[in-house]
This record gives sequence, structure tokens and C-alpha cells, in this order.
Amino acid sequence: MAADTRFVAPTTVVEALGALRADGALAVGGGTAVGLLLGHSLIDPRVLVWLGRIPALRRITADGAGLRIGAAVTLRELSRHPAVRSALAALATSAALAGNPRIRSVATVGGALAHADPRQDLPPALLALGAVVEITGQDRSRTVPVDGLATGVMETVLQPGELITAVRIPVLPGLRSVYLRFTPGSTADYPTVAAAASARRDARGRLLSVTLSLGAVGPTVLAVPEAAALAGERTPSAASVAAVADAAARRARPVATRLGSAAYVRAMAAVWARRALTACLARDLVGSPS
Amino acid sequence: MSAAAECRPDARDKAAGVTRYAADLPVPGGTLEAVLVRSPLPHAEIVGVASGQARAAAGVVAVVTAGDLPPGLAGRRVRDMPLLGRGVVRFAGEPVAAVLARSRTAAESAAALVDVEYRELPAVCDPVAALGPDSPRVHEAPWGYPGAVVAAGSGPNLQSEVTDGDPAAVARALAGAATVVTATYRTPAGHQGYLEPQAWVAFPPERGITRLWGTTKSPYRLRDQIAACLGLRPETLRVEPAPLGGDFGGKGGVCDAALCVALARVAGRPVRIVLRSDEDLTATDARHPAVIRVRIGCDADGRLAALDFDAIFDGGAYAAAKPVPSVNLHGALDCALGYRLPCYALRSRVAYTNTVPKGHMRSPGAPQAVFAVESALDELAAAAGISALELRRRNLLTAGEPDGYGHCWPEARGRETLDAAVAAARRLPGAAPPGVARGTGVAVYARPTPTPGPTSLSLAPLPGGRLEVGVPVPETGTGSHAMIGRRLAAELRVDPSRIVVRQMATTELPGDPGVGASRVTAGLSRAAAYLAEAWRASAQDGPVLVTVPAAAEPPALSYCAQVAQVAVDRETGQVTILELVSAVDVAAIVNARAHQMQIDGGAVMGIGFACIEDLREDDGQVLASNFGEFRIPAATDVPALRTVLVDGGKGVGPANVKAVGELTNVPVAAAVANAVADATGVRVRQLPITAERVYWAIRHRGRP
Amino acid sequence: MTIIRFGLNGEPAQVHAPVTASLLDVIRGLGLTGAKVGCRIGVCGVCTVLVDGLPVSSCLYLAHCANGADIWTAEGIARDKPEVVEAFVRCEGMQCGICTPGQVVAAVAARAELGRAADDTQLREYLIGNLCRCTGYATIIEAAKAACDGR
Repeated sequence: MAADTRFVAPTTVVEALGALRADGALAVGGGTAVGLLLGHSLIDPRVLVWLGRIPALRRITADGAGLRIGAAVTLRELSRHPAVRSALAALATSAALAGNPRIRSVATVGGALAHADPRQDLPPALLALGAVVEITGQDRSRTVPVDGLATGVMETVLQPGELITAVRIPVLPGLRSVYLRFTPGSTADYPTVAAAASARRDARGRLLSVTLSLGAVGPTVLAVPEAAALAGERTPSAASVAAVADAAARRARPVATRLGSAAYVRAMAAVWARRALTACLARDLVGSPS
Repeated sequence: MSAAAECRPDARDKAAGVTRYAADLPVPGGTLEAVLVRSPLPHAEIVGVASGQARAAAGVVAVVTAGDLPPGLAGRRVRDMPLLGRGVVRFAGEPVAAVLARSRTAAESAAALVDVEYRELPAVCDPVAALGPDSPRVHEAPWGYPGAVVAAGSGPNLQSEVTDGDPAAVARALAGAATVVTATYRTPAGHQGYLEPQAWVAFPPERGITRLWGTTKSPYRLRDQIAACLGLRPETLRVEPAPLGGDFGGKGGVCDAALCVALARVAGRPVRIVLRSDEDLTATDARHPAVIRVRIGCDADGRLAALDFDAIFDGGAYAAAKPVPSVNLHGALDCALGYRLPCYALRSRVAYTNTVPKGHMRSPGAPQAVFAVESALDELAAAAGISALELRRRNLLTAGEPDGYGHCWPEARGRETLDAAVAAARRLPGAAPPGVARGTGVAVYARPTPTPGPTSLSLAPLPGGRLEVGVPVPETGTGSHAMIGRRLAAELRVDPSRIVVRQMATTELPGDPGVGASRVTAGLSRAAAYLAEAWRASAQDGPVLVTVPAAAEPPALSYCAQVAQVAVDRETGQVTILELVSAVDVAAIVNARAHQMQIDGGAVMGIGFACIEDLREDDGQVLASNFGEFRIPAATDVPALRTVLVDGGKGVGPANVKAVGELTNVPVAAAVANAVADATGVRVRQLPITAERVYWAIRHRGRP
Repeated sequence: MTIIRFGLNGEPAQVHAPVTASLLDVIRGLGLTGAKVGCRIGVCGVCTVLVDGLPVSSCLYLAHCANGADIWTAEGIARDKPEVVEAFVRCEGMQCGICTPGQVVAAVAARAELGRAADDTQLREYLIGNLCRCTGYATIIEAAKAACDGR
């Protein structure tokens, strides 16, 4: 650890991008990942660029069709935001369950996404809700869907000098979403499998769209496009739902970890896909999302 | 007794962050920080240690290897472990070099620069394989070590073997029994999981005295063990235990402490070793994994005919961490306790393997053995067509009748305790949701409260009319210091606020065997009576010291019966404990709240053992190397816990107590396994009872 | 290494700290040893402190992110909110005590987050990341509840 490591706390995105051009510069959100890696001497950055003082990244704003969540918004802030709680239940739930209260106090949405641990709670919820990730570089901005960000375990498409600046999520009327996490050992652990689903109905109760995504079943978050086929029926049959769950299990690419063998995780992918869809499609709760 | 007096005297300081644990103690300027370089391989020859780069690094004062230290071996009973790997390493994590530097950061950076060349050797990491004829030898001649309990030429890789009972009688009895079941049960490596990593500060000798501060629960034994290892006279070592941040049997080890003393002598300066949490989890005395085969039979009336118990424990690369004379685990040796057994045979072997040395954890051997025997009892009941409850009722020992070992206990309250547990189990409202199966399981554990042992205490007047009692053992969390203060106050008939409890160094009191074996409450409370008498007989104007011999009275038997009610999600295998009732057979209780916390804390640790914890040893590597991977129960993992105290028992000592510290953690695993079997019809014989294990057991049921 | 300035238990503090230092290193370097070195990966909670009123794993919190922040540890809470410490004393919400300073800090945060009516389930979820190996949690939750109730 060189004694000349620098720490900068820019107040604008432009400043941050400038600081990130330096050799060995590393962006820091809440610092939980960077703090851990530094504490265990696993990284040796030259410059730490802390994003926590950039107001533009700390805001959640409504823009036209949805919410724009600044990358430095913390998981706690996200889970408590009234618009997130009322319209994006799966996101509120996943943000409220990730880690523990200390992690949620500081961990940021952008930092979490950049970390790209396949067991994280946020990505499946964001994916099921149709979120896109805004990435800003020195001379360009681009947008990728949530499942286009991570390319592998702790690997993303982020190029040197690029920063996640926001996550944009549509907010549509009639949307119901759920997030379920399966923690059969200690409840404090990462999920063995996580499932997020959304269902949007029109005023007559007809399904307009259904989405499903899974976490912890492969190296990256998993979209299950077969769920879309459930829209168009008012009440998808158990068989239809099961078919989508089976598709989810087929798409999963689990590897054996301490949380489960590949065969078990694949089996659980189907079970929890079905449970998330069933919860989401249930019509017992009128009006409010689950 | 006033409400204020009921509070632990150390409570406020602990809550206010003021209490100083070993790693918090201010150290003199010039103290060197030591970081250990550890072997990544389970078995290898140390070809060479290249430390030049490390020695040249900023802040580094020395890099020490085995050749720089005295050749003595360390151990609590068997002295088979070198302070630093000498010529060979026998487990992944064994320390090979110590970097001494002016700061922790400098020592850690330099440790990464130490280049050790190894020539890998064949390793044996499974205890059953280790006992086989062609296995690689962890030690060539383990019988040669001081304190060894195996004979020359004994089977390969044997740390200890105890056989007991009458195998021939057992064979006959089982041959004639109406129902016999045979099953093998497996438990993984675990860890005491205290949140405070071990830490030591050793000083070079000054005026002939060497001081050692640190995380020891048995300072006198540690003193003697370090003295034996380093060839010192015990009275020249002054061990000052710090309050412990949890122990559970894991803070009795000698090797790191002896190493710290040796390093201070080599360096001529104070040296501090503070283990990282992951080092503590992966390289200090973990719980013995076990493979236990039980054969048990009963007659047509469900009376037990015989028990055949054969256990193989994985003792790891060194026997050094085990303190008792047999170098075996008493929980296994006591497996025939508690029930009426016409005959039994037990064999308990502890094997050397190339894995982390195993030690003691909260009723050593009992969680493993009771899981096996109490599960087997249920399997026997099912095979015999009798209820599991009824089988136990018919066979639990009553007062005055001989146990399996032929010993008559004046009091044996197993039936009352079991009945109390069952009566307290709540009838759960409603039906199980579709796809969820509910079940109930019981398990019983009988444990002796040992005869109060020898100890010593001092009492000295303080200004203002207060009295200071000097105690020889540290406060590990059980409230022992508060207890001794209260007992003494009761004996002296003074208000507890007048008594101050002070931790003494080993040079200030004659001795005590240390915390463990659930002996502290009985032993120290009895000693309080001696101390009070000596004080009354004195002029009461100066210090008084008593040495208390071991009591002559017999041990008492205490029972713990648990009833677990579970819900099993058939689709996922997830087991949810809906309620765990612990019925505890008690005599007098010194402090109700502390007693209850031992019951609750023990039950939660038992739930961890039953359902969550696994150190995951694999090919000699500990895979669960931090608290993120080695999960212990969190507040949300605790089910409804209920306690029933079965009053009226006869305890030991003048305080009339039965030990409770190593009780409720033991039967939980069997109670849960039995409940899962009741719910689903499947039997899980391997711990932890994970959702995945239950899932596959349900799906494979009926298939061989 | 540069200087960082922050409020520590109600008093101004300033230290030279390497950029790679954790807040835990800095606090313990100032002689406040209530926050402990435990798992060092943010899971066990023995290093819990408050940063601007929120509970944080100080082992993972970069010291330089604390520049200008208001930091409270158990030692400060004992002076500023003694009723929380008293709740732990009265309820005996501890055994060995190694997790207790962290539990006290977390209880203060729980009180702010959940309010007076915090129930057993909410408190257990809030304290999910403050591990305890000794007590089985019942007395800790009782103490946290007493702290929330203001009893």
C-alpha cells in the first residue's frame, strides 16, 4: 500500500470523471467493497474517488415515465423512498433486505451494480422492473439493460474511466412486483436463490406484461423472457406458470457453492420462479402491490 | 437482594465500551507486532524459508523460524506441536515463520514477502482413511511424544483410543434382541465461533519473571504447559488473563501463547500476536468432526438390550489442543449414561489427519455422540413400532439404579425432565399449509455436574469498608465473577455492593484448573464458603488466602430434555423450527438470569450445530474461513424458545448447584432430526440438517 | 496521509490518517477501543459506530469518507444517551460483552429508525447483523426494546 495513495471527493460528475482518468484510480460508493478489498490487501489503488459528495448522484427524481435513481443513492434511501415503496415494491423489498442495516446505510446502487456479485439482491428486482443503467464516460454516455451490465462474476462492461451515474426505471400504472429471497440456512446469509417478478394489468384486470428474473443461479442475473407469454390471459393457468418456471430452471447456470449444489440450485430456480410469479399474479390484494 | 445488586458488576463497562479485552490493552512503546506466515498446504516438507526481502522491509525487526526457537513441543496433554513448523508442516494454516515489526501494517506487508519453499507430501484428510493401513502418516512415531496415550506400534495415525464395556455381551444381547437398528451418523468440523479473536502480549523476562497477557481461560494450566514447552520454571511465568470475548472451550490452547513468550525472549522486547478472525477460524482448535456407528437393540417390550457405540473423531494434525488425560472426548465416553442399559460397548478413536488440530467445544464429544445415540433411539423406536417418547420413558434411568457403567446415581430425573418438556410443548394452532409437513421430535441428554475441584481465592480489605476478592479464573461471559461476588456476599452476610472482584495473575494465587467442564459455579461458590470462614477466623485487617481442595462428594447427574417442533417445506427441504422447548433438571440457581442465558445461548448454539454451521473442511482446507462463510445463528434465526425448570434436584457443593453451561446445546440436533423424520418420514444422519440434505432425502426415500 | 476532521462523541477530533485506513483503525488509534476488530468483512457487527446518525461497519468505512462527519461510539453514547446503556445493564443484554458496544450503537440506530413501537420481529431484523455467540439474543432484544420504548 503506497503511502502516496490519494483520496478525492469531487462534487460533480465531471470532476469525478476527470479524477478517474488517473492511473490506478478507483471509484468508491459506500466503500463496503473497496473497504473490504483494501483491508485484506487485495487491491492497491493510486487514487480513491469518493462519489458520496456529488449531489447529482444522490438524488431520486421522477422524469417523465419513471424514476431516475442517482448512482450514489444508498440502499437505505432507496428502500425508504415513497415512490419506490408505492410503485416498485420488488425494488423496495430487495433494497430493504440486502446485507444488513450497516451495509444499507452506505452501500450505493451504483456501487452494488458495479460490484456484480451474482448473489446480490438488487439486480433481479431491477431487471424484473425493466431498469436500465446509465453509464457516463469522459466523452460519451450509454445505457445498458441491467442484464447487460455484468458479464461474469464481479465483471462488468464498465470501461476504465466510466462511471455508473444512474439507474432509470419505468413507473407504470397497474404494476405489481414481488421479490423473494430463499435463505434456508441463516436468514442473514446471501440467498441460495432469489426471484423477482412483475405483472402489469390494465383497468379491466387484463395482464399487459409479466416479467421474471432470478438471482444467484448463475454468474450473472438471469432474465426469463418466457414469462412474457403469460400476458394476454387474465388468469394464467398453473401449467403456464410451471412452464415458465421450468424455462427459468433450464436457463439457470448454477455452479456448486456452499449454498447449494448445481442440481439443487437449478431445482430451486424453478420452485422460486413459480412462487414469485404466483405471488405476483395473485389477485387477492386489490389495488396495492405486494 | 436489591435490584441493583442483581446486575452484573461488569455490565456497565461492557455496554459503554470501556472493558478492555486482550487486543485492547495498551502496550508499551516498542512492543513488536507479530504476524504469522502459514502453510497453504496440508502436508509438506519445508525446503527453505527465504526471508531476506521481508527482513529488509520497512519497520521489520526480525523474521523468526523454528531454528531460532527452543526445540520444545507444546501441548495441553500430548506435547506434539512445534511452535513453528520444524522441517515439515502437517496442516494448512500451520505457522512456519513469525514476522516481528514495529507496526501491524509493516508486519503484514512483510509477511507477504516471506517466501517458503515446500515439497508437497501425500496428505490424509479423512479420519477413517487415516486409520487405514496404507494411509500417509501424519506423525511417524506419535507414541514418542511426551504425554502420548498411544503405545508404540499402535495403528496408524492414532491420537487416542478408548474402549469400554463388554463387546461379547453386546453381541449376544443384540443377537437375541427383538429389534436392532444399525446406523452411521456424521458431524462436520465446527468452531466455537467466539467473536473475539485470540490475542497475546508477552514480555521478555524482567527480574526473572516473564509476563503474559492474553485470551486464556485456564491461566495456571497454560503457565505450566508453556513452562514445560520452553523449559522454564512455572513460577517464573506470570499469566494475566484478560476478560474473554467468548470461550466455549476454544481459548485453552497453548501453542500461540508459548510462541508469543518465545518471540519476546528472542526479540528482547514485548511482542503482541493478535490473530485475524479468519486465522482463528481456520487454524485454531476447531470441533472434532465425527463418524459414529451406533447399533442398538431392544426386547419386545421396548426395553433396551444393548448399545454398541463406535466413534471415529478427526483430531487433526496435532493432539496438542486436547487437555484431558485420555486425549479423547468425554461426551463419547459418556454415551451410555442416562438410560438403563444391561450392557454396552464403546470404542472411541481420535485420528491424526492433515487438518487443523481439533480441540474442545462446549461439552466436547457430546453434541456429536448425542446426535448419534438420540437419533438411533428414534430409529429403534420406529423399527420396534413403539413411540419415541415411550421408548425413552421405559428406559430412562431412575434414582438408585445402576447406569450402563454400573454406577448408581442418588438422583436421576430423566423421566420427570422429559415429561416436563413434553407437557410444555405448545399445541401449534391451525393446520400446516399445503406442501408443508409438521413434526415433533425429542432428545435427552444426561450430564454429570462434576465434584467441585480445587481452587484458590483471596480476600483483602479496601478503603471504605469494601472487600476485594481475588479470583484465579477469567470472566468468559458466564457471569462467574459476578457469581463469586454474590456468593461471597451471601456467605459474609454483607451487601453485594461491598464486594469487588479482581482478576489475579498466576503469581498471586496458588491455582485453579481453569474454566471448563462446567465446574466454575460449583467450584467457586464452594470456595466462597471456605474464604468466608477463613475471613471470619482472621483479624480481618489484612489479606487472607485460601487453597481449597477438591470436594469429596460425588458428582450429580443433570438431565436436559428437548422437544423440537418443525415445519418442513417439502418442495425445498427447508426446515423451520417452530418451537424448541428445553426442560432442565435443576437444583438451586445462583443467578436466574445468568442461568437462563446459558439455557438460551446453549440452545441457539445447538441450533447452529443442528442446522447451520459447517466449517467445510475439504482436502485439508477450511473453506468457511470467515464469519460470512461460517455462519452462526443471527437474531432472526432463533425460533420460539421455551424453558421449563424442573425444580427440586440435588446439586453439588454448599450452593447446591447443577451445571447448566454445557447442557442445552447438546440434544438439539437429534431433537430436530427426529422432528424432521416425524414430519417427512426421512432420516437425516449428517449435520448440518440443511434444506438441500432434506430435499434429497425426501426425493430418494425408498431408494437404497 | 492527510488530516481528517470529524466530530467524535460530540467533540471535534482530527487525525492524520492514511487514505487506506478504516474508520475502525482511526477510532481505536485514538484510544477508543469499544469498537472491536472482529470479522473485518462487515458481517459480525462488533465494529458498529454511528456516522451521521446511521450505523456503519467501521471496519469497512474509509476513514477519509468520515471527513466532516459526526461519529458516535458506545463510549460517547454512554455519556450522551445513558438510558440506552442502562437498558442493557438492567436487561443484562450481554455475557462476554464483546458484541455489546456494537449492540448498544445498533440499538440507538434502531430507536431512530423504528421508533418507540418497534416490536420483537423488527428489532431482530434490524439487529440481524450484530451477531452474538453467548446470549441467544433474548436479553439483547429486550434491552433494545427498552431503549426504543424509553423505559
